[in-house]
Amino acid sequence: MNDRKTIRIALTKGRLEKDTVGLFEKIGYDVSQLRDKGRRLILEIPGADIEVVLAKAADVITYVEHGVCDMGVVGKDTIDEHGGRFFEVCDLGFGRCRFALAGQKGFDFYKGCGVKTIATKYPNVTRRFFEAKGMDVDIVKIEGSVELAPLLSLSDGIVDIVETGTTLKENGLEVYEDVSPISARVIVNPVSMKLKKTAIENLIAEMEKNI
Amino acid sequence: MKSYDLITPEGTRDLLFDECVARKNEEEKLRAMFTAHGYSEVITPALEFYDVFNMKARSFKQEDMYKLVDGKGRLMVMRPDSTMPIARIVATRLRDSAFPLKLFYSQNIYRCNPKMAGRDDEIMQSGIEIIGGDEKRSDLEALCLAAEVLNSCESTDVRFEIGDNTFYKYLLKKLELEDDEETVRLLIESKNTPELKIYIENNVKKDSPEKAKAAQILSELPTLFGGAEVFDRAEKLFGGTVLLDSLYELKETFRSLCKLESGDKITVDLGLVNKAEYYTGIIFRGYIEEYGQAVISGGRYDTLIGSFGAQDMPAVGFAANVNAIAAAYLRKNTQPLSKRADILVYAEDDSLIDGIRHCNSLAKSGVSAEFCACSSLEAAMQYAKANGIKHLEVVDCNAEEKIVKIGL
Repeated sequence: MNDRKTIRIALTKGRLEKDTVGLFEKIGYDVSQLRDKGRRLILEIPGADIEVVLAKAADVITYVEHGVCDMGVVGKDTIDEHGGRFFEVCDLGFGRCRFALAGQKGFDFYKGCGVKTIATKYPNVTRRFFEAKGMDVDIVKIEGSVELAPLLSLSDGIVDIVETGTTLKENGLEVYEDVSPISARVIVNPVSMKLKKTAIENLIAEMEKNI
Repeated sequence: MKSYDLITPEGTRDLLFDECVARKNEEEKLRAMFTAHGYSEVITPALEFYDVFNMKARSFKQEDMYKLVDGKGRLMVMRPDSTMPIARIVATRLRDSAFPLKLFYSQNIYRCNPKMAGRDDEIMQSGIEIIGGDEKRSDLEALCLAAEVLNSCESTDVRFEIGDNTFYKYLLKKLELEDDEETVRLLIESKNTPELKIYIENNVKKDSPEKAKAAQILSELPTLFGGAEVFDRAEKLFGGTVLLDSLYELKETFRSLCKLESGDKITVDLGLVNKAEYYTGIIFRGYIEEYGQAVISGGRYDTLIGSFGAQDMPAVGFAANVNAIAAAYLRKNTQPLSKRADILVYAEDDSLIDGIRHCNSLAKSGVSAEFCACSSLEAAMQYAKANGIKHLEVVDCNAEEKIVKIGL
């Protein structure tokens, strides 16, 4: 955190970025730089004392946690998986989907007493989910299309983000159980929240009003 | 086998030169401050038995502590905190001393942080504890001393923040949410008001007006932070509950603090609920703009000493993160802190002991003198130049002039 009175907000690149920029436009900010950004990663909203940083989801948390960005917009999925010390002050409502436990259609996941194997990109979310059930599972971390794992019999099920369920359906998989809901959240660094309270609260209020 | 002999473990670091001086300066500054206020220093072992930190009232997660096993198979930890060991001392060796006790410490603590997050696992903390004193006086003294520490930090902007977790604890009990304490606490700590409201909606039976009122207060608790205006809002919200008394007390403390400090640097946050099992009253924190987390953290912990088998005893204290304060200082001040010697003393081969004697007498007279470990005068001159040493003195007991001064 440098000597700056501007608010620096980190946006998760991609869809959340587009939705947030749309929200900024609705508030009435000049988003021309954000629309026409080229390859730049730090952008300004002229006349609003807001600086926008574009980053990957998990990095948004890291930047906010260290206080180099005051605020961030990031998916609840990343917050649940990554954790960290920050304030989570607002649910923006967009980017809505859910974590779900899924697997081959017709398979009774909870049947039998053998230890099940779960493939996932979100090992922490998965571990917590089964810990709460008091169930031991083997977790396999997968980087790409997790749906492959049960099809290739690497795992009994997957824990992944489900939006419409189309990918699952097309691959003969189905949701067994919802794990938790996901949407875009506004996070704030605790020190920034205290030092720039008015400015940050005003911005959040504007965002909430225009959701 | 892979060898890790060239690096330090993640979360630790070597401190060289200026980093080292800055750290020591800050540490000394705080030591002087605490001593000047009548505090006595204690040092506790870096290694403690796991049991010292493993109780509910002591609020340490086992995965956050570095653990090892002693010769008898007992579990030990690298101390993650200095207050528990001090409480242990007070409950044992200092049990019969004349209270109140005013103690301070300045030592490293160890935390097993998530990796790759850029956090320190080894943190130098300086802090104080006031044990067995009158609550009002001790609270105010601890707060003022913490504010003094905060103001001594090199920073463009600071905030001092007070809170009190009695409100939170009362509401939790009233709403019978104690079994789900951690969920509620995390929602409040992260100021996640939207989810807190949903949680309360789903989990609280508002079967009486008191409960409905408590639920309303709990759902607004995270938003009750800011300046003096928070007290007005809270007074309206708490109206008709027993919480008002504690609120007035906190307000009085806030006002007293404002008399000492400029009011706009002091804020209040009724949603401070960290270490809820451990703190039993006022909680406070200090922030500097240059660091993304609190640099000072403290509060009242009246049940801790009792949990070591002694009588419960009122106690309040705080710790300052010296790593963060020193780092902030270094970022602001680019002037070099570590100084090389004023004079380099080079002695000829058969005058070595005379050279060392000369060095000693220079050092005694107050100038810093370094005995040159180079084997030739030429090398000595190069060494002096490379290290920015401006004066070279050559000692040769066989020469006419035994000491020759050369300006560089």
